[in-house]
Amino acid sequence: MKFIKGHISLIFPLIAILLGLEFFIVFDRTTDSFEKGLQAGYSMIVVSKDEMSIDDFKAWDSHIEHVEELEKSKILKRLNMNKDKAKQKKFEVSLPNFYSLKLNDYLTVDELEAVKSNLQKSSNIISIETFQSAYQSKYELFSFIKFSFQTFIVFMTIIGFFLIVKQMEVWNYLHAQRMKVMEIFGASLFLRSKVLINMALIDAIISAILTSWLFYLFKNSWVQGSQMEILKDNIEGVFKFSDIFILLFAAITVVLIAVFLVVINVKEE
Amino acid sequence: MPNVITANNLTLGYESDEEIIKNATFSIKKGDFVFITGPSGSGKSTLLKSFYGNLAPRSGSLVVGGLDMVGINKKNLQELRTHLGIVFQDYKLINEWTVEKNVVLPLWISGYSTEVQETQAKRLLHHVKLTGKEHKYPLELSGGEQQRVGVARALSKNPFLILADEPTGNLDEYSSNVIWDLMENACHQLDTTVVVVTHRIPMVFNIPYRHFTIDENGSIYEVH
Repeated sequence: MKFIKGHISLIFPLIAILLGLEFFIVFDRTTDSFEKGLQAGYSMIVVSKDEMSIDDFKAWDSHIEHVEELEKSKILKRLNMNKDKAKQKKFEVSLPNFYSLKLNDYLTVDELEAVKSNLQKSSNIISIETFQSAYQSKYELFSFIKFSFQTFIVFMTIIGFFLIVKQMEVWNYLHAQRMKVMEIFGASLFLRSKVLINMALIDAIISAILTSWLFYLFKNSWVQGSQMEILKDNIEGVFKFSDIFILLFAAITVVLIAVFLVVINVKEE
Repeated sequence: MPNVITANNLTLGYESDEEIIKNATFSIKKGDFVFITGPSGSGKSTLLKSFYGNLAPRSGSLVVGGLDMVGINKKNLQELRTHLGIVFQDYKLINEWTVEKNVVLPLWISGYSTEVQETQAKRLLHHVKLTGKEHKYPLELSGGEQQRVGVARALSKNPFLILADEPTGNLDEYSSNVIWDLMENACHQLDTTVVVVTHRIPMVFNIPYRHFTIDENGSIYEVH
């Protein structure tokens, strides 16, 4: 019982840290593709007096990645002004140029405002429509969800670290006497910490496997049946086989640092 | 006979405290059995600690087993300690390890094979009259038995120097006699140097010995 308790008291905080790390990785992957989707679906409309090329736009702001000229005939069609061919031709000539601009990144509202003001510096540009309110509501919702989730991850990781610090105090209490005696008889730092290292490495491996298993289940059971399109669309990003190695590396790093700190703080009497 | 310990104007003290041992000059030869006595707080244990590098000399020089203890590096100190046998009044056994594992600790540290460790443990436990208790844990033994485990551990690697700090301080007469017999034998038969800090020299002691005493001022004299 004491043996199991000793292991669980390290495995539990380690899993908390690894869950935080894996959630962060998964969240980063899924939000990245969601951001790309939002970015792809967004464009601003610019009206100019004379024709403009992509280089003309880029000269005013480097965030502009793609420019598409909107056909005047189609605009007129939408305005239902294509009944009289001659009138239409005349009207078409007098119309300014319309462009749909796509950006190279998912910009913040402030950055979007900066792009607009940069373009307005051009005397050739008559009008710019950024559709800011629709963009802003999507952006703010997305930012809020992102912030909430990241706060939760940070909080979980901090709790995990506090529990590990607590476990280090327990280790110090349980192992200090043995390490002091071994030091008196000339044992090296490695020999003195061998028992602790072995125990901690086993716990690190168990924690990494358990966390990977939880995410495997999350991917194959929960996500499949859920209505969350953002996860379903990026199901491969929810858990990758290579994540096991990332989790294992992180767990081993954390426990080795913890063991090292305990061992160097044991001073001979 | 070569010197095992040589001190010249040795001064010892803890970080902020005043000097405890002052200007001690003495030498201990191979095969010597030395008792160090003195009133409580005179610095007997402090002196012993300096012999195994637990306390660095404040000034003067101290050479143990050919190694200068002033500024000794970790590697050399570890190496020196693997050749020492140290016995403490409070035994300093590893309570979560069996008696057998405690006894062979110095051999385990030096990387001896399991067979050598087992053979040596059997032999030593027979010597200290603890045969049959190899799989017990220290806290299952009496104080006298625990100290006998401590002495067996100190002897396990045939050290060139045994340092004992009040080894019989907490023991009954029977256990005390067993401990003194073991130390006498180590010195007499194996030519091991033994330095014992004690309040009282045993009434019956069968081999020649030297007697150092430390006075209240931290000065060391050889009285016998």
